[in-house]
Amino acid sequence: MTELQEARDIRTEGLHVATRHPVPKGEPILELRALQKKYGAVEALKPASLTFLSGEIHAIVGENGAGKSTLIKLLTGVIKRTSGEIFWCGKPVQLDTPHEAIERGINAVHQEVVLCAHLTVAANMFLGDEINRNGLMRKRAMTDAAQRVLDDLGFNLPAAAVLGSLTIGQQQLVATARAAMRGTQFLIFDEPTAYLTRQESAQLFRLIRRLQAEGVTIVYISHRMEEVFELADRVSVLRDGTHVGTRKIGETNEAELIALMINRTIEQIYHKEHFPPGEVIVETRDLSGPGFQDVSLTVHAGEIVGLYGLIGAGRSEFALGLYGRHRPSAGEVYWQGRKVDIASERVAMDLGIALAPESRRDQGLCLNLPIGLNINLPVFSRLTRGFTINGQQERENADRQIRDLKIKTPSRRVLASAMSGGNQQKIVIGKWLSHGAKLFIFDEPTVGVDVGTKAEIYRLFARLLENGAGIILISSYLPEVYELADRLHVFRRGRLVASHDYRAASHEEVLTQAIGV
Amino acid sequence: MSAETVESGASAAPRKGVSILFGLTLLGLLLFLWLLLGFATNSFWTPNNISNLLRQGAMTAILAVGQTFVIITAGIDLSVGAVVGFTSVIVAWLLAAGVPLWAAILLTLAFGVLIGAFHAFGIVRMGLPPFIITLATLTSLRGIGLLITNGSTISITNEAFTNFSRADFLGVPSLFWMVIVVAIPAYVFLHLSRFGRYLFAVGSNSEAARLSGVNVHRTIYLAYILSSTCAAFVGLLLASRIGIGNATQAEGWELQAIASSVIGGTSLFGAVGSVHGPLLGAFILATINNGANLLNVNSFWQRIITGVLIIVIVYFDQLRRRSAR
Ligand SMILES: Nc1ncnc2c1ncn2[C@@H]1O[C@H](COP(=O)(O)OP(=O)(O)OP(=O)(O)O)[C@@H](O)[C@H]1O
Ligand SMILES: [Mg+2]
Repeated sequence: MTELQEARDIRTEGLHVATRHPVPKGEPILELRALQKKYGAVEALKPASLTFLSGEIHAIVGENGAGKSTLIKLLTGVIKRTSGEIFWCGKPVQLDTPHEAIERGINAVHQEVVLCAHLTVAANMFLGDEINRNGLMRKRAMTDAAQRVLDDLGFNLPAAAVLGSLTIGQQQLVATARAAMRGTQFLIFDEPTAYLTRQESAQLFRLIRRLQAEGVTIVYISHRMEEVFELADRVSVLRDGTHVGTRKIGETNEAELIALMINRTIEQIYHKEHFPPGEVIVETRDLSGPGFQDVSLTVHAGEIVGLYGLIGAGRSEFALGLYGRHRPSAGEVYWQGRKVDIASERVAMDLGIALAPESRRDQGLCLNLPIGLNINLPVFSRLTRGFTINGQQERENADRQIRDLKIKTPSRRVLASAMSGGNQQKIVIGKWLSHGAKLFIFDEPTVGVDVGTKAEIYRLFARLLENGAGIILISSYLPEVYELADRLHVFRRGRLVASHDYRAASHEEVLTQAIGV
Repeated sequence: MSAETVESGASAAPRKGVSILFGLTLLGLLLFLWLLLGFATNSFWTPNNISNLLRQGAMTAILAVGQTFVIITAGIDLSVGAVVGFTSVIVAWLLAAGVPLWAAILLTLAFGVLIGAFHAFGIVRMGLPPFIITLATLTSLRGIGLLITNGSTISITNEAFTNFSRADFLGVPSLFWMVIVVAIPAYVFLHLSRFGRYLFAVGSNSEAARLSGVNVHRTIYLAYILSSTCAAFVGLLLASRIGIGNATQAEGWELQAIASSVIGGTSLFGAVGSVHGPLLGAFILATINNGANLLNVNSFWQRIITGVLIIVIVYFDQLRRRSAR
């Protein structure tokens, strides 16, 4: 018996187990008929009909705002459908509460981690399903059980740690472990690898295959085509809330899927232009701070400096240090040749540094405020005439970013929280493009962004470089830094351990250095 | 422009004018109450009663505007009632000590600034929750006020000062003019200036605001100083109205102010609020009290009605917001 099953058995002591309706492999397990969802006037999902077969890995792809997450939220009872029918094992079901979905064995790892940051990893994994004896929680038993599951899954995470102390990627793994141990029949992953490193992704894929072997049906949403082709049996495409087709993976190819997704073709995603390196914009010498030590690097005008490493390797911390969020404890920063002390974010911004942070939810966006306000937040002092804001400039600036980045919204007045994940990411980027800077630090800029927009963002990078800016690009997605960075630095445990020129090292070499074997 | 935060401040719907609708609903409710009381009583639409109503509502309205700034940053200011009582003592004491009127007024307002700065200091530097630090000043300010007056009251003999609250200007009570004097700059500040946007941003996500270059600490100082200064201003008005300085005055006004703000559509979770909402809220509350007096409704019932009203209005506001989801 695997540890995973054992953990489930611990749970079964007097607790509910997902009711099992054995559907033979290959038979429909979940069927959607004309399922529709409207948010006010916005039709997020147009009547869609889709069938999921028992035991398959079914990928769903589509542009930002195509309705993928909406579909998932409908299946897991997070939101209520406007119309349409859902059949589970051949019987019509309501699925309008998360509880009902879980009872039936439908679980999801959502795009944005929805767990309690103040509780421990173990408490989160057992949330709503705690192990009790005589009404008292068995904390030790839960921590032990959770740790066994995590170890068994190969996730190197402490069950007793407070969730909030982990990186977003690690939290995502906790959410995955949580879903995997709940007696699941049907498990949905909404962009699970967005914040994961390659190694962590590999662990996740092994888990997914194992669950499939145990008979679980998997739905897998991703913007990364290679993952879709690696994992899926079938793939469905959504465009603008419409289901435009389902293909067997062996009978399609990347070009066809992209064409279905965006209704046009893109010849090249990684758009790389080389500019002659200009003056030195910033140079750090042995910079140390919370989470990083002795980092020395240089950024020239017209170049992209890539920082690659595993999550938690100190890249974001270095960026925050350079940006004045956490004051460095040792080392020097030279800005255009002059020694500077970046004591606060404001100092950094005034020098000409812009930081698009890693976590759009926690650091990037004011979610319950309008898109327009979010975009303009860094530039309000510039939009102010006398004491008041120039309303026309404010509107124009917001609308320009919405247009340039193709943020899918009816108006700048819509709240940022009503945007799909990828569109939220575009707001974060738009904010800093409108501010402008000499040095742009983009921390995971394309997380959750669809292929078409990715290509556009990379083109934008080239435009920034052309205008004499320099870019620090932090990414956990190796192809991105590999294809774009003029100079690639590898971070491991808070230190800069290796540096390569454009395409000078192989993928394997860079990976090995990041992992440190 | 203003529409940017007014509407979206209060709505999840992409449609235009939702919170304008909410404002109009409140206004409609207020007019409805006035019409109803006009029919139900003979004395409601008398000049005397209307002036009285405007005077009553004015003070809560000013407190509610200040309170709203704080609530938008996802904070709370429980001290405003105590600040009103305390500053009424300060101004009476200064006048009794022979300080010229203009200086007494400025010094009293300066106390408001100091108290607000102290709150912000406690929150920003000492890391205390707003609820705690303002609760602490609520009790201590009353204590200090009582110490100064030795537990009694200080009467104010300055005629110019006490006449002010009784005076009318263009047929409207001067106290009500004070609401306008506060509301217009407050509107410009909250809806047209960048500082207003910063209040919303800090209330929504202070880390994101900070990384966008917003000086979060300064914004919090600003909010609490404005709230306390509004309260000090109301302290002046109250002292003028009752002609004494007494530290136990304005008991429970902080709750009136918070209630007005919430009725006016402010979210206690922060990042949602306006200037016109709390103003309407304050006058709705004042009308209910006034009407209940005229109708000889037991004052215990007034409290119950106020409570029910808060639940009903906020519930409908929630429904409206949720329907967009
Ligand atoms: N709470 C909401 N209120 C209003 N509109 C919403 C809300 N949530 C999502 N939408 C809209 O529904 C549409 C579909 O969003 P959804 O999150 O399903 O997209 P997605 O395919 O998951 O995109 P992404 O790849 O960016 O995650 C978008 O246009 C989005 O703006
Ligand atoms: Mg999504």
